[in-house]
Amino acid sequence: MEDLKLTLKQQIIESLNLQGMTPADIDDNAPLFGDGLGLDSIDSLEMMVLLERNYGIKIEDAREGRKVLESVASMAAYIEQNRKI
Amino acid sequence: MMKPVYISAAAALSPQNSFDADTLLPDVISSNNGKLFVKDTDYSKFISPVAIRRMSRMLKIGISTGMKAVQLSGTEKLDGIITGTGRGSMRDMELFLGDMIRLKEEALNPTYFIQSTYNSVNGWLAMQTKCTGYNQTYVHRGHSFEMSLLDAKMLLHEATEPQTYLVGCLDEMTDDYFIVKSKIGYWKKEIPNSLQLLQHSNTQGSIGGEGAAFFTVTNTKANSICSVEQLKMLHNPSPASLQENIDNLLTANGLKLKDIDVVLCGMSGDARFQPLYTPILENTTAHTTVVAFKHLCGEYDTSTGFAMWLATRLFQEQSTPEVLIQKKGINPSINNILIVNHYTLNSASVVLMKKTI
Repeated sequence: MEDLKLTLKQQIIESLNLQGMTPADIDDNAPLFGDGLGLDSIDSLEMMVLLERNYGIKIEDAREGRKVLESVASMAAYIEQNRKI
Repeated sequence: MMKPVYISAAAALSPQNSFDADTLLPDVISSNNGKLFVKDTDYSKFISPVAIRRMSRMLKIGISTGMKAVQLSGTEKLDGIITGTGRGSMRDMELFLGDMIRLKEEALNPTYFIQSTYNSVNGWLAMQTKCTGYNQTYVHRGHSFEMSLLDAKMLLHEATEPQTYLVGCLDEMTDDYFIVKSKIGYWKKEIPNSLQLLQHSNTQGSIGGEGAAFFTVTNTKANSICSVEQLKMLHNPSPASLQENIDNLLTANGLKLKDIDVVLCGMSGDARFQPLYTPILENTTAHTTVVAFKHLCGEYDTSTGFAMWLATRLFQEQSTPEVLIQKKGINPSINNILIVNHYTLNSASVVLMKKTI
């Protein structure tokens, strides 16, 4: 799980082009949107693409998507249970 | 006839040192590969770190140039933003289309698609300047910038109150675009150094270029640099009809060619279009300086924007750098400038400008 979280942080930094950030700067449980990393709605679309492309996960339900994208920890937990790749 | 409009500030990001330099063309940049790319600046001075991470190079170029023009003018409230682009954000479009093929139309990144739309720069500029007024982007190939300028002129002609519009243009060149256009003879097969471009005007093709130029355009003469008196767009003109249109435009403004201090010509080194400029070189008197500019910015849809930025700087500097001069005149000062430009055979334009400072 810890390896998955680290990989996920690296993928988020790369796909969202978070310049100057390292995985150590992202807290596992900090919110990704709003007060945490300060990401926005386009970033959420980019992360949906990230999940689909890297883990074969397609989230159709927007409410479910909001829960999954709350934090790195919630994303990693969802990937563990639902990954197809 | 439409009233003149006034330029209170101008900014340009081009292959030359046009953005950060205090003087006009302090050093001249050339290339040997047939392409002239914009000289980058520190974009973080104009765009927040949160926004900049997602932007393509063209967006950064366009937004920074527009914001610099607004800063230079000291304008606090814009009445509108009008932009012209022949091709929009090519790189984002290429990335998006490339992903469509590579990923079989699934799991496509939305950012490339969103930002590749033609009006992205205008949208960002509106948000950055908090301008909720008129917002228009013209995509009319070689007349895109001219259409933006015409729109601003028409709006200001009808305005009864003082108004200021941010008017500009942007176009980028990519390697793929260069390859595609080379197949239809846009570029020279034997590539000269860009500074030698005009010495190769007996062969077909030019060199590729790109750039952005923005102006604050107002109906208030006070504190302006110069005016745009008249603008004429022509479709596929012959050398004779271009000359006739120039004469008519000057006559309508009470001028003759001998009254023009500097003619800025869009000679691109392409033998097919050189005849458009031959009458100008032949008919101008010893008073007039004839200058060229495409050996400094390359050929692209909205190069008239670069020419207009050059004109505003010539009014301010009151001297013409040697690197521009094709035919040296004896004019002691620069008060009237005529821009004559073309982009392929379809689009040509003539712009008459006057010094106001």
